[in-house]
Formats: sequence, structure tokens, C-alpha cells
Amino acid sequence: MKTVLKMERVSPPPLQLAPQPAKQRRVSARGDNAFRWLTFVCSMVVPLVMLAIGADLIISSLPAIKKFGLGFLFSEDWNPVTESFGAASSIFGTLASTCIAMAIAIPLSLAIALFLVELAPPRISRTVGTMIELLAAIPSIIYGMWGLFVFAPFMANYVQPLVGRTLGFLPLFQGPPLGIGMLTAGIILAFMVLPFISAIARDVFQLVPNVVKESAFGMGATTWEVTYKVTIPYGLVGIIGAVFLGLGRALGETMAVTFVIGNAHRIAASLFSPGNTIASTLANEFSEATEPIYVSSLIALGLVLYLITYLVQVVSQIMLRRMYRAWSVGL
Amino acid sequence: MMEMAIKLTELEPEMESSCESAQVLAEHGLESKITTRHLNFFYGENQVLFDNNLDIAKNQVTAIIGPSGCGKSTHIRVYNRVYELYRDQRAEGEVLLDGENILDPAYDIMELRRKVGMIFQKPTPFPMSVFDNVAYGLKMHYVMSKSEMADRVEEALQRAALWDEIKDHLHRPGTSLSGGQQQRLCIARAIVVAPEVLLMDEPCSAIDPIGTAKIEELIFDLKDHYSIAIVTHNMQQAARVSDFTAFFYQGRIVEFGPTSQIFTKPAQKKTEEYITGRFG
Amino acid sequence: MKRRPPTGRRAVNLVVSIWAVGSALMGIAILFWIIFVVVTRGLGAMNLAFFTHLPTPPGILGGGLVNAMIGTLVLTVAATLMAVPLGLLAGVYLAEFSEDSKIADFSRFSANVLMGMPSIIVGVFAYTLVVVPLGKFSGYAGALALAILMLPLVTRTTEDMLRLVPNTLRESALALGAPRWRVTLAIVFRAAKSGLITGVLLAVARVSGETAPLLFTTLNSPFWFHSLGEPIPNLTVTIFDYAMSPYPDWQQKAWGASLLITAGVLVVTLLARFTLREKKL
Repeated sequence: MKTVLKMERVSPPPLQLAPQPAKQRRVSARGDNAFRWLTFVCSMVVPLVMLAIGADLIISSLPAIKKFGLGFLFSEDWNPVTESFGAASSIFGTLASTCIAMAIAIPLSLAIALFLVELAPPRISRTVGTMIELLAAIPSIIYGMWGLFVFAPFMANYVQPLVGRTLGFLPLFQGPPLGIGMLTAGIILAFMVLPFISAIARDVFQLVPNVVKESAFGMGATTWEVTYKVTIPYGLVGIIGAVFLGLGRALGETMAVTFVIGNAHRIAASLFSPGNTIASTLANEFSEATEPIYVSSLIALGLVLYLITYLVQVVSQIMLRRMYRAWSVGL
Repeated sequence: MMEMAIKLTELEPEMESSCESAQVLAEHGLESKITTRHLNFFYGENQVLFDNNLDIAKNQVTAIIGPSGCGKSTHIRVYNRVYELYRDQRAEGEVLLDGENILDPAYDIMELRRKVGMIFQKPTPFPMSVFDNVAYGLKMHYVMSKSEMADRVEEALQRAALWDEIKDHLHRPGTSLSGGQQQRLCIARAIVVAPEVLLMDEPCSAIDPIGTAKIEELIFDLKDHYSIAIVTHNMQQAARVSDFTAFFYQGRIVEFGPTSQIFTKPAQKKTEEYITGRFG
Repeated sequence: MKRRPPTGRRAVNLVVSIWAVGSALMGIAILFWIIFVVVTRGLGAMNLAFFTHLPTPPGILGGGLVNAMIGTLVLTVAATLMAVPLGLLAGVYLAEFSEDSKIADFSRFSANVLMGMPSIIVGVFAYTLVVVPLGKFSGYAGALALAILMLPLVTRTTEDMLRLVPNTLRESALALGAPRWRVTLAIVFRAAKSGLITGVLLAVARVSGETAPLLFTTLNSPFWFHSLGEPIPNLTVTIFDYAMSPYPDWQQKAWGASLLITAGVLVVTLLARFTLREKKL
């Protein structure tokens, strides 16, 4: 409606009694062509940058790749003094913290989406939805501050002793309750990716056609039965896309993790012990790295992260695209 | 059977004049399965049904016709309270299923929806196999062995006249069937839980003519087991499948009667205008 | 047939409903917990000096972060100036001219992937691209990294918003004899104005709180800066440096800076949301 009104506000060009002279028309066509090309070139910047980042990372990490070979991926050694570098602990930490994050974030964010779409009255749904989205707006470093000074002590004083007492027989939950470490990093990551997953899951739940939901409800199904048996299978591709989107975020999240993970280059069985991730290693060490092979090894770490997130993003995009395409046609 | 209808009119004599359908059913010696009295319906502030009084006869097909927007779909959506999914929709009045008021919040909604099944305009197969689509409601409402479940599913598919066509494809996704097959799948899915009433909201509007013919035939067979209310904008269809017809106009029930009578000599001028195609 | 008693199903449904409500409440609780902590601890750092003085050397009390505030502002503005015109024009191509060609699709796909790219990777890119050749850390490198993060956001929202503009509007303007570029810039942009502003605001909000891409590009500095060719003091890296320091006074300043950044980002985000909502009505 509003656009229509705006259209009326646009003042008409001065009346032209004679048809435009041919010359002038050609000029305007040329202008149009130039404009078209200009926008085309601009639209190619993004893909070029994306490819350039990959190429740049490969070139800059060549010295490290040449020196360490594939062993780089599997060595746990990280010693700037002896110039021996391996990515294993960083890769392990990245995957471990992401697993923890996803294990917490997926059930939470799907539940939030369920609340927003099926349970909450519209007004509450809108308000709560905005608040959850604001979780995504809070900068990473703020999560880091809160995590280091508030949440880690909270974990050390309350959560970890409790978990240690009840589940301490598992190697996963042994060791002193330091507060910082893999578990705390994973939980904070979960809070950070939760809004991304729940926002898309909410779309997915809303996009399931009402008649389909109605016919399930119409058979006497409960809200949960409709969600579990109809809504989730219906939007499965979309939900997988959402999960992978969150996964990509969790893998590359830097500052919050750097604050709370403890930054130790080792692989520990216990989730209470400090560790590191690719991103946290880069954040901590890059500006201090002086030796070329050190810098190159760090960039090689970055290349690993680039490749993982690229893959995850591709899966996520394919899934989300498939969902939106299917729904623009079907039912 | 007659007693009930008579009892109703006796209990509430003031209703007698307003409720044509109770009289008609009494004349035919039929029992009322769903008895609607003074039903008003609102979308937010906007009232769309006004003092509806209607009886859906047991084991008969009742067609509900009227121009689009007259409230005919809204009316039958009250019967299994599916409107409750939308927060701004609200019904007032009485809808009795076997004498019990289903609008009473204490009425068990899951049981109501088992008893009153619904078929929608567009086929709505769930994202699962043909077999699971039908078994879905069974698993929900009943405890049974795998073999019994298979028997029930087969029985329902047979009753829905779909078994012969798809008995070898039970594990294909429900969405892979043709439109008409999908709709019959939805009918099988609705009847497998042994409902007593079937509500059909323009069940053939998205189906090709051959599929439509099959479904109409099916409706005729189904009425031995179920009381059926069918909303349709297609008057030939109403004439073909139904025993009784109610004509809705602007949220009010203008006329109710045996289908033959409504289509040959309607009592109301509005009804006549509608069925002769002068509006709607 | 043996009926399944509905109690079990009802119980499961109830448990799930409670779980759903609980999850939503927890999300809100975390949000308010963080905001509460940032506000209460950050207010302690607020005084006139905080906004007007340069940082003091380690161990000496007092001072402020005025240079970092200006620095963050300058970096954000520089990134915006680079990314927004480029992003708007790229969005124009995708929405107006691309006709869903393969190459446009690849551009769209790349933008989505780049949006999910870890910002620290973009930092590494800016490092090798600008810091290494120039041989020094500089504001240019940081602004470039931030611009790369903004670009896909602006591009995608621009495309989405332009697509919402009805075709009849374009046609009626073209029918008046206006060239395509004028129709786009003068009429389509005007019709999509609030959406475009929203996109830019969200992108600004996103990058103004970024730390990782600045860590080894712009670095940080306790002094004034005179050009983008030198390390630029900025709030987010200051938070990182100060929080990790052993001085309580610095830690408090880190909280003060956190409050400024959080407030700024949340205000801009909410502003963007309301701009869009107004349009939708």
C-alpha cells in the first residue's frame, strides 16, 4: 500500500511534446548499459573476495604445509621455540566445543521455536522472539567478558562441583572445577548460536501449511505429536540447514571462546580442563608471532577452519535453498 | 430414534419454530448426531455465524451449500474445534454430539477429534509413507500389535477404495500419490481411528473429475458407517451425494430440508436464487 | 480395538510444553543476565575522564578511553563507506538485472557463505593483504576486514528489499521514458528506503562490535592517531587487552567499554528492527 502512495508522490517528468531525438535516446541506453555493468562488477566482488580468501590462505600457509605436510593435522605438538607446529589440539578443541554447543543448542532452540510458533500468544511470541534475536546481536567479546568474569566463576562454584559429584565417575567430568575450560566454552557457544538456529526453525515451523497442521490436530494429536511427527519431518531439510548454519557459527566463534577456554595446546579427556580452538589460537598468538613459519602455521590453522566452515556453509545453503524452493511450489 | 428429536423439541419448545432441521429429521424418523443450537462465531470482533441451528442426521450425508464467505466451512470447523488453533477465533452457543456439549471446555478434545474426523480442501498427506500416514492416528489413539495394525490399515484403505491401487506401494511417501489418491488416503487416515462423524470441507475442489467421481462414490458407501457433513460449492455434487441440504447465506442458515426438496422446490426465495445460479 | 489412555500422551505433551516455555525463559534470562552484568559493572567506570582522557600507562589510575571511542567510530565509518555503496550496487544487480542467471546465483551463494565465515579468518585475509605488504599494522587493514564482513550483509538485504518493490512501480516509471538507472536510483531506492536503511544499520551493528578481525590488523594503541595508516585505538580490542590484564582499574575500564559497545549495538539493532516494522505496517 505504502509503495503505491509513494509512487503518486513522484512528480511526473516534464511533458515532452515531440518524441525524444534519437541521439539522446542512444545516450540514455549507453548510460543504462554502463550502469548495468557497474552493478555487475560490484556483485562480483563478494564471490571474488570469498575465493580470494581461500587462495590467499593456501598461498600463505604453503611454507607450513611444505614443512609439516599432512602430519600438521595430526600432530599435537605446538612449540614456537622449537618451531614445531601441529593442528591436532586446535582441531580437536574446535570440534569438541562445537559438539557441546550443538548438543545444548539444538534441543533448546527447537523448543524455543516450538514455543514461539505453537504455544505463545502472538504478542508474547513477538516480544520473546525479539529478545531471543537480540542474543545474536550481542557482540562476541561481550559474551567473553560475561563468560570470564561471571559465568566461569558460576560454573566453578555451582555447576562443576555438582556435575563432578554426580557424574564424576566419567572421565569427561573429572578434574578440578576451574570454571574456564572446554565445557564452559561449549555452553557459552550454545547461547551464541541458539538465536540463529531458533530463528530459522521458527520460519520452518511457520511455513508448514496450516491445513497440514490442522489435519493432524483434527485427528486428536497433541501439539507435541503434531510437531514431532508432522512439522519436523515436513521441515526437516530446513531444520538441518538451520543446524548447519549454527554449526558454522560455533566452529568459527572467536572472542568468547578465547576468553573462557583456557588456551592450552593439549587434548584432554575431561571437559573441565582447558583447551583451545583454531580461532582462539589465532586470536591469542597471531599478533605475537614473529617467525615466518609460526605465522604460516597459524594461517594453515586458519585454512583448516576456512575449509571446515566453507563445507558446513555449503551444506546449510543447499538445505535451506531446497526447503524454500520446495515450499514455493508445493501445497 | 424419533424420541430424541422429539425430546429436544419438548425440552425447548421455543426453539421449535427456529429449528427447521429438528423438525425435518423428526418427520423422517432420523436421529440427530450433531445438534447445533444458537451457534455464534467470531473472528476477533467480527461475527461470522449468527444463531445457527442445525442437526446432522445419523448415518446420513448432510450437504452444506452457500456462496463463498457464507460461513459454511467455519460452521463445520466448530464440530471438532479445529478453529481453536487460532487464538482470535471463538464460538458461542451449544453443539451437542450425542447429547453432550462439545463446546464445554471440559469436553475431552482429543477424544472429540477422534470421534469427529475431518477431510480438507486440499489433500494433506503427512511427510511419511502411505502406511504410516494411515497408522498415524491408530498409534495415537490405540494400543495394538503390529499385525493388527496392518489389518486395520488395510481395512481402512479398502474402505477408502484405495487398497487395490496402492497395496504394493505402501512404503512410498504419501506425497507421491496423485491428488485423488492423496485425498482418499486422507479419508482412510480419518476413518481408521473409527470416528463417528466425518467432516468434509470441499473435499473435491482440488481433485480432477475422475478422482472426484471416485470420492463421491466413496462418500455414498461411507454413510452406512459414519454421519457425514460435507461442505461444497458444487451444487451438482451436493445433489448427487447428500440426503439433506442446508443452505447458508451471510452466516445464517436460510433453509434446511431433504436434498431432493431443496433442489426442486426450495421454500425460500434466496435458496431458489442461489441454486438457479442467480448469485454466488 | 484397545484404546490408548490419553493420559500418557497428555503427560508427554505437558512435559514438552514446559520444556519449551523453560527454554524460552532461559534464553531471555541469559540476555538479561548479560545486560544486567554489563550495565552494573560498566556504570562503575563511567566518569568524565573516561570520556575525555587518554589511557594511562599500566598501574596508574585514572585516564579514559576517548581515543578508542573515536577510533571505533572512525573504523566503522571507514568500513561503512567502503562496503555500503558496493553492497547497494551489488544488490541492485542481483535484484534488477540478474534475471536469476547462474553467475548471480553464485554471487548470492557466496554472500551467504561469506556471512557465515568466521570473522577471524577475514582478519587473517586483511593481514596478508594489507599488513604484510605495508609492513605495519594499520587502520586500513582493520577497516577493510570490517568492510568485507559488512559487504555480504548489505548486498543480501538490498536484494531482498528491492525485490519487495512491486514491478508496476518500475514499469510505470520506465513508461515515462526515464532511463533504467534513474528509475532504480530515484524511484526503486526511494520505495525501498526503510528496508535499505535497516540493512545498513544491521550491518553497522554487526561490525561495530567485532574484535577478532581487528586483533592483528588494526591492533590497538594507547595514543591518538593521525591517519588510518597507523594502529588505531579501538574499544573492542581494548576490552580484550584490559580484561586480560592484572589491573582492576583496567578491568573496570574494560567493563565501561563493554557497556558502550553493548548499548551502541543493541540500540542500533533495535532501531533497525523498528524501521523495518514501521514499513511493514
